[in-house]
Amino acid sequence: MKSARLPGTRSLKLALGAVRERTGAAGAELYVKVGRTRRIEIDPWTTPPPADPDDLPAQVSILDERGWALRAGGANRALFLADSGPLPEPNGWKRLSRHSLRPGTLRLPAPSPETSPGTTPSASAGAGEREPDDEEAAGLALLQGVLRRLGERMPEARLIRGRLDCGASAAVLASTTGVTGRTALRLATVELDFAASRDGRLGHCRLYRAASNLHLLSADSIASEIAERLTLVTAPAPPFLPAGEVAVSPALGCYLLALLAPLLRGRNGWRRLRKLGADRPLGPPQLQIVDDGALDAGWMSAALDDEGVPTRAVALVHDGEPGEPLLSWEDDGWSGFAAAGCRRRSGWRALPELCHSHLYIAGGSEPAESIRTGIVHGCYLLDRVPDGQCHATFEPSTNGSAGRLGEGHFKVDAIGLVIRRGAVLGEAPRVRLTGSVRQLLQGIRAIGDDLRFLPAPGAVGAPTLLLTGLQVEAIG
Amino acid sequence: MRSNANGAEQRPLLTSDVAAPADALTRLVARGDQEFEAFFERVESVELLPKGAPNRVRLRKEQGLAVRKIENGRSRLAAADTISGPAFAACCDRVAGTTRSIGTTPPRIRTGRWPALRLAQIEQAESRLTRAVNRRRVGFPMEITARRHRRQVQVIRSRMAAPPQFEEYFSLHVKTPWGVWGGLLPSLAAEDLDPVALCLVDRLRSRGLPPHRPGPGVIVLGPNAAAVLLHEVVAHALEADTLALSGSPDQVVGLKLGGPELDVVDDPRSAPLACKRSSDDEGTATISRWLLRRGRVRQPLADLAWAERCPSMIPGAARRASRHRLPGPRTTHLELLPGAIPERELFAEAAGGLYIGEFDRGNLDPFDGRCVLRAPCGRRIGATGPRDHTGPIEIRSRAVDLLAAVAAVGDRPLAGGAGWCAKDGALLPVWARCPSVRLEGLQVAD
Repeated sequence: MKSARLPGTRSLKLALGAVRERTGAAGAELYVKVGRTRRIEIDPWTTPPPADPDDLPAQVSILDERGWALRAGGANRALFLADSGPLPEPNGWKRLSRHSLRPGTLRLPAPSPETSPGTTPSASAGAGEREPDDEEAAGLALLQGVLRRLGERMPEARLIRGRLDCGASAAVLASTTGVTGRTALRLATVELDFAASRDGRLGHCRLYRAASNLHLLSADSIASEIAERLTLVTAPAPPFLPAGEVAVSPALGCYLLALLAPLLRGRNGWRRLRKLGADRPLGPPQLQIVDDGALDAGWMSAALDDEGVPTRAVALVHDGEPGEPLLSWEDDGWSGFAAAGCRRRSGWRALPELCHSHLYIAGGSEPAESIRTGIVHGCYLLDRVPDGQCHATFEPSTNGSAGRLGEGHFKVDAIGLVIRRGAVLGEAPRVRLTGSVRQLLQGIRAIGDDLRFLPAPGAVGAPTLLLTGLQVEAIG
Repeated sequence: MRSNANGAEQRPLLTSDVAAPADALTRLVARGDQEFEAFFERVESVELLPKGAPNRVRLRKEQGLAVRKIENGRSRLAAADTISGPAFAACCDRVAGTTRSIGTTPPRIRTGRWPALRLAQIEQAESRLTRAVNRRRVGFPMEITARRHRRQVQVIRSRMAAPPQFEEYFSLHVKTPWGVWGGLLPSLAAEDLDPVALCLVDRLRSRGLPPHRPGPGVIVLGPNAAAVLLHEVVAHALEADTLALSGSPDQVVGLKLGGPELDVVDDPRSAPLACKRSSDDEGTATISRWLLRRGRVRQPLADLAWAERCPSMIPGAARRASRHRLPGPRTTHLELLPGAIPERELFAEAAGGLYIGEFDRGNLDPFDGRCVLRAPCGRRIGATGPRDHTGPIEIRSRAVDLLAAVAAVGDRPLAGGAGWCAKDGALLPVWARCPSVRLEGLQVAD
C-alpha cells in the first residue's frame, strides 16, 4: 500500500471557501499532514545478540499517520478542529455552522513578500510517499550491530530498552490570507537504555540520537558511546573532586543550552536575556548562539515554518552580546526587530507554538581535543545522568516584568572524568554541576570546533565548552 | 443504546457486522502459533481554555485501526488513521507480508456516528470550581483549562470479538500564581470538583513555605496520596515488563512486600462509572486481580504476550496509549481494601507527624526499586488532626521500605488519586479508590 498523498493547495482553498461560507469566519487556515514511521522495538531479553539481524527478536510497527487541522474565526469568535483521515470534500463540512465558532480570537499571518507559493521550496516534498522497503532491514542491522559491538567491548552490558523510529512526513497548508506552503521531513531516531554491573556497582545509561537518514547513524560510534558511559557510571566515586575548570562534551553542552531555551525565545525571553548581562557582556566575544530553521542539512530544516512563514537564521547571542530575539510574525517589528518563521506544530493535532528548530552554540576555532587536554585541574563531563536532575529555575516575575533572572540557577547531574594536566586521574560516576545562569554564560572560557546536534527535544547543538566559576560536587 | 453518568450515549464504534473482519483475520492465520488481532479506536478530546486564550475551544477527533500479528512472542503491527475496509485490508497485507492476504474484496467496515458534542458541562466547570473555592472563604486568580476525553475501542481477534468499550472522563489544569494543579475527574459535577478546591486552598495556604525536612516519624497519607503511593510501588512494580528487568516475572508470586493489612486489587470493572472496562485493549476479559493479598504478591499485571511467556500469569491487563503503540501490561483501577481503623484514630496516634493529602509526582526506578514521591504541601498533625501547613515534601525510599512502613489502613475508602500514568511515554488515565494510611518509621528526605 502506498502511503497517503497530500491534497493540492487548490483542494485546500476550495475547502477553506466552504468553511467560511458555513461558519461566516473572517479567516481560516487548513493544515494537512501525512507521514509514515517504521518503528523497531527490541526485547530487553535479547542478550547475547544473534548473528543474523533478521533473528533479532523485535517488535515491528508500520504506522501511517494522516490528519488535518482547521483554524477559523476572527476578532471575537474562533474554532480549532483537528481530525484524522483525509481532508473532507468541499461539501463535507456540513456539520459546521455559525454556532461552531466560540468566543476566542484568531489571527493568521499574511504572505511574506519574500516567498510566493510558486517559489516555496519543498526540498524533499513527497518524502512521505516513498516506500521505505529497506528501512526495516537497515534498522534491524543497525540495532544488531550496536548490540554485537557493545558485546565485544563490554560483555556485561545488558539492553533494557531499544527503540528505533525511522520515517518521513510531508505537510501542506493554505489560509484565506493567501499563505500557502509545503514542507517535508525525514528523520531517524534511536533510543537505547543499557545497564551494567561491575564489582557490585550497578549503573545505567540512555542514549538518544537522531539523523536525517538512518544510514547516517553508526552502530560503531553508538556502541562506543554506550560503553564509555557504562564504564563511567559503574566506576567507584573519586576520593575528591577538583573545583577548577570544567569541560563539557557536546552532549552535555546540548542539555545545558536546552535549559536556557526560555531565555532565547519571544519578547519575555529577550527582556530576561538583556537583564542577564547586567551591563556586562553575556559571554566571551567568540560566543554565538543561533536558531536556524533553515539550517543546511539540519534534521528539521524547512524553508517555511508550520504557519507558512519563511524561516531564517537568527543570531540570538552575537559576539557575546544579545543579538536579536526570536520573534513570531505576531511580534514583527517589536523593538525594531524582524520576525522569523518559528512557530511549529508537534503534529497535526497541535496548534503552532513558538519554539526553536535548530538552536545551537556555533563551533569555535579551538580544537576540542586541546580543550580536554588543556585542563590543568578539573573535570571533563561527558553526559547527564538519565534519572538525575537537569533543570533550571528562573524566578517567576510577580509584576509582569522580566523578573530577577540574575538569580536563576541550574542543576545538572552528570558523569565524567577527573583530569589533571591533561591526564585522566579517575572517573566521576555521578556529579552535580550547579551555578547561576549568568555564570554559565559568562564563565565560558573556550569553545571547541566539534559542534554536534542532539535531539533534546528539537535539534539542539553545542561543541565542547570549557567553563569556569561553576560548582561541581560528588553525589550519591 | 445506554447512557453513562455524564449523559453521553454509548454508541457502538462499528456498525457493520464484526464477523466480516474476524473471518478475514482467520484467513490470515498460516500456522497454529500465529494470532491476529484488529484494534479499532475512536478518540475525541474537547478542550476549553481560559478566557482570552486564542482558539479557546479546541476539538480533536480521530479514528483509526491497527492490525497485529503475534507469533513466537513477537508482534508485527500496522496502523492507519482511518477506519475502512481497504485500510483494514492494507494493514493485513503489511503484517502478513503479502498482497491480497485476505482476498480481493476487503470486508465491509462501517462506523457509527460520533457522540453528540455537548459542551455545557465543560463550560460550567470554571464557575463551579470558583464557587467551590469561594465556599472555603477564599478567592484567588485561577486560569482553568477543562478537557473532556472520550474513547471508543473495539477489538476483534480471529474467531472472537470483544464487547465494544467506551470511556469518558475529564481533566482539569488549574494555574494559580503559586503553581499548577492537574488531574483527572470522572465528571465535572460539584462533588468531583470539591476535592479539587480543597487541594487548591491547601496550596494557597502553603504558598511560599520552604521545603519541609522532617526526621523519621509518622506520616498519614490521605486517599489521594495513598493512591499515588500504591500506583508507584505496587502497580508499576508488579507490571510484568517492569519485573522482567530484574528477573523472571513469575518468580515474585508469593513474595512478601508488606504487612497483612495490605490487600491491593486492580479491577477495571469497578472504575468510575464512565470509565469501567469489561475487556482490555487486547479484547481479553478484565478480572478483579489481587496484586497483593495480605501483603504478599498474588498476581502480577500481564498482557497476552507476557502470559504466553509466563504460563502462571493471567492476561487481561493490556493497555495501549493509541493504535500506534503496542499494548503493555498496566493498571487501570487500583483499590486498597479498607482496614478496620476509623479515620480519626489514624490521626489520634499520629500527633506530631505529617499529613500529606496529595502527591503531584511519583517515580519508581525499576532497576534498584527506589521510589520518589513529591507532595506540593503537607500539614503537621496536632492532637485533633491536621493543622499547620508546610512547604513541599519529598519522600525518597525503597519501594519495599515504603510498603513495610504501612502500619494502619483506614476504614473509609474514597475515589481519588486519578491521574495520567506516563510510563515509557505512553499517556494512560489511571483510577484508584483508597482509604487513608499511616506510615511509621519512614525517613523523609529533602
